[in-house]
Order: sequence, then structure tokens, then C-alpha cells
Amino acid sequence: MIELKGIHKSFRSTEVLKGVDLSVEEGQTVALIGSSGSGKSTLLRCINLLEKPDKGTVRIGDFYFDAHDINGRIKREARKRTAMVFQGFGLFENKTVLENVTEALKVVQKKSVEEADDIGKQYLEKVGLSNKKNNYPRTLSGGQKQRVAIARALALDPKIILFDEPTSALDPELVQEVLRVIKQVSEAKVTMLIVTHEMDFAHDVADRIAFMADGEILESAPPNEFFTNPKSDRAKQFLDRYLQRFNYTI
Amino acid sequence: MGKIFDFDFMIQCIPQILKGIPYTLLIAVVAFLIGIVIGFIGAMCKIYNVPVLKQITGVYVSFIRGTPLIVQIMLVYYAVPIFIRIINQKFGTAFDISWIPAVVFMLVAFSMSAGAYLTESIRASILAIDKVQLEAAYSVGMTTFQAMRRIILPQAIKIGLPVFANFFIGLLKDTSLAFTAAVPEIMGQAKIVAGRASRFFEAYIVAALIYWVICIIFERIVAVIEKRANRDEKEGKK
Repeated sequence: MIELKGIHKSFRSTEVLKGVDLSVEEGQTVALIGSSGSGKSTLLRCINLLEKPDKGTVRIGDFYFDAHDINGRIKREARKRTAMVFQGFGLFENKTVLENVTEALKVVQKKSVEEADDIGKQYLEKVGLSNKKNNYPRTLSGGQKQRVAIARALALDPKIILFDEPTSALDPELVQEVLRVIKQVSEAKVTMLIVTHEMDFAHDVADRIAFMADGEILESAPPNEFFTNPKSDRAKQFLDRYLQRFNYTI
Repeated sequence: MGKIFDFDFMIQCIPQILKGIPYTLLIAVVAFLIGIVIGFIGAMCKIYNVPVLKQITGVYVSFIRGTPLIVQIMLVYYAVPIFIRIINQKFGTAFDISWIPAVVFMLVAFSMSAGAYLTESIRASILAIDKVQLEAAYSVGMTTFQAMRRIILPQAIKIGLPVFANFFIGLLKDTSLAFTAAVPEIMGQAKIVAGRASRFFEAYIVAALIYWVICIIFERIVAVIEKRANRDEKEGKK
């Protein structure tokens, strides 16, 4: 189980997170939605300490830390228990597809080359990219890159996978192949926290929706409840804007 | 008086001038390697905003870039003896400046100079790598050292290769200034031969050709390295 309590974060004088509480049960998928600049990505990055929270506590399974105690060791321990899929892919350009997946298994988890390769191949198979295992990332499409990134995250066998707008940098026609893979992962009961702007997808995949505005979580509810009957005005406005956009395209 | 252009003399002076090559290469290669180390440390100080060290690096780079190499050589040449005298006075030691060969002074001067220029090149090469790769490396649990060594630096070196090669060629030719400190490198040897026979033009032509040939050979080597570095990526491995 992942549990965040009272997370505060400011960049200079701007308070981005104003005391956020959030928990994700094991095997659950939680979708974090809200307008740009509401603090979704920052919250995600406070979990694996790519950003250092100013205040608050984080529990990742049996590992617990307070924002005041963060040091290099705690950062690495937090990162060993989590994995992240980035908007900009973050594949290692000097490594092949397979090496991207196996790198941390070898270097961080100290697995043997054979074992790491076996695990790597197994997860590439899962995301449908076995045939690309010796390619370099440069030769892949955006959708393929993101699927490699997902395989890399899965292979680490983390307590939770953090998705930071995994489809926002993709061409529209490539979004679906990535969402399909994420859905498949969610169905396999991997614990996930997903920041996304894909409302249909969030509705479809998430066990719970957390709605963020101005550095706070205003609502947290099952998708059916949230999308049909949002409680806060901010959530209503937000959903209205999205529905309008759908009306446009029909 | 003899001929206007003495071709035979030119041929004769080749072996003597060739003797300067080891000194030329020694200064260029050692200064480059030490420069890379200094440059890497300087670049990291700047990138990671290390207090104090960052400011020192800034002043150092600014000073080296803002003063001519020949002046720096002279400064080192005259600073070291003074420095040694101060040490002798303070600690009652008896170091003798003549124990230190002139080439060591030049290694110090050229390394300092190379370090400053390479600080900026290395910094630019590292910053050219998309930051998300570093974050990704952190996110899978790598330490900064692992991320640098395994992910960032291999790419930075490849990106910087043409710049480093260019810099090395410049450095190789700048070593000719070492003759001012009586180091018998290519230019120094040419001066000696030329002075003996009062035939300067012939000797300098030989020197020019030797520099040129060394640079051509080096360019070839770099071309091969670059080709190798890029080959994998197009075809995939194995």
C-alpha cells in the first residue's frame, strides 16, 4: 500500500502542493486528474523523490520516510520500490531496447546477466516488442518507446508504477496502443498511480479517481460516481470543459 | 652565397626536426588528458551548482579564455621559480629550480589552458543529453555516479567527439609555443637547425609539413572512431 500524508511542496514562492493526502491500495489503479498546473506531476515526483517534498510523510509498502529525513540513501530506497513512466519516455539512447529493460536489473538489483535477460525478454513479450529487442530507441515510434518504458518499469517489480502523462507526447494515432498496454497491466493487478488527461481511459481503467486543483485533492471517488456525480464545483467545471470538447469532435 | 632555395638542406634537416615529435605529442596528449579531468570536474561544479567551486571555475575559465596562451606560458614559466623560492624561504628547504625540466612547466601551462576550454565543451556535451534520461536513471534506482558513467557520459562523449577532436588539433599546433621555454619540440628543433645554417624557410617548411601530416593522421583516426560510434545505432546490435 502507498500512503501519502500532508505533502507540501513549494517552488520558490509558489505553493504547488498544499498538504496532500492520498493512498493507493495494493493492486489498485488510481487516476490522478485535474487541470495543468494543479500539481499532479509534482505529487507523483514527490513519491520517488525526483522532487523533494518540503513537508509530509510517505509510506511505500513497509518503507516509510518523513520529508525532513530525506537523504541519498532514502532517495535510492524509495526509487528501488517504485518505477516511473515519463511523458518524454526517458529511454536510455545509448542502450538497446532489451538493455533499457535489463540495465537496472543488472546494475541496481545485481541480477546476473542471464536472469536479467530472461526477465527483460519476458516483459518485452508482454508489451509486444520482442522483435525490437536489439534496436536502439532512436529507431522506434513514440508508441513503441513508451511500451519499452512500461516494460522497463514492470521488470523492476516495483511496489507501485507512477505514470506521468504517459500518452501526452504521442501522436493521436499512437495513443491507443499505449493505453491498451497500460490497461493490460492494470488488469494484472499491478499497483499504479496514473496522471492522465485521457478521461475515457481513466474511467475505464481506474479503480478510483483523484481530482486535483490548486495543489489539493478535492475529490476521490470511484470513476462512475466521479464522472456522473462530481461533488465539487471545480470538478464539475473541469468535466464540463472535457465534455464540451467531446461534443466538438462528434 | 649559395642557392636561393636549398632543397638538399631541406631534406637533410628532416631527421633532426622529426626528433621533436615525441615532445610535441607528449605535451599535446598529456595536456589533453589532464585537461579532460579538469574539464570534467569544472563541468560538474557548474552543472550541479556547487557553491564556491562553481565561482572559482567561472573565474578560472574566464581568465584562461581572456588571456593569450603565450602569456599564460610566460606566467607559469616565471611563477613556478618564484613559488619555489617562497617555499624554500618558508620551510628552509633547498629545492633547485633546475631540477625541473622545462617540459614540465609546459605541461602545467597547457593542461591549465586545456582544462578551461574543455570545461565549457564538456558542460555543453552533458547538457545536450535530454534531462529525462537522467531522471529515468534515478527513477530505476541508479546513483548519480552510475547514471553518469553508464547513461549520460557515453552519450555526451559521442556528442562532444567532433569538438574534442577539433580542440586536440588546435592544442597539437599550439604546442609549437613551447619552444619559447626551450622545449625541443618540432618548432624548437626547426629553429635550432635553421639557426645553425641560417636557412630558416627550408626548416620551417619541413616543420609545417610534419604538423600537417600528424593532423591528417589524427583526423583519419577520429573519422574511424566516429564511424564506429555511429554504426551500432543504425543497425541494432548483433
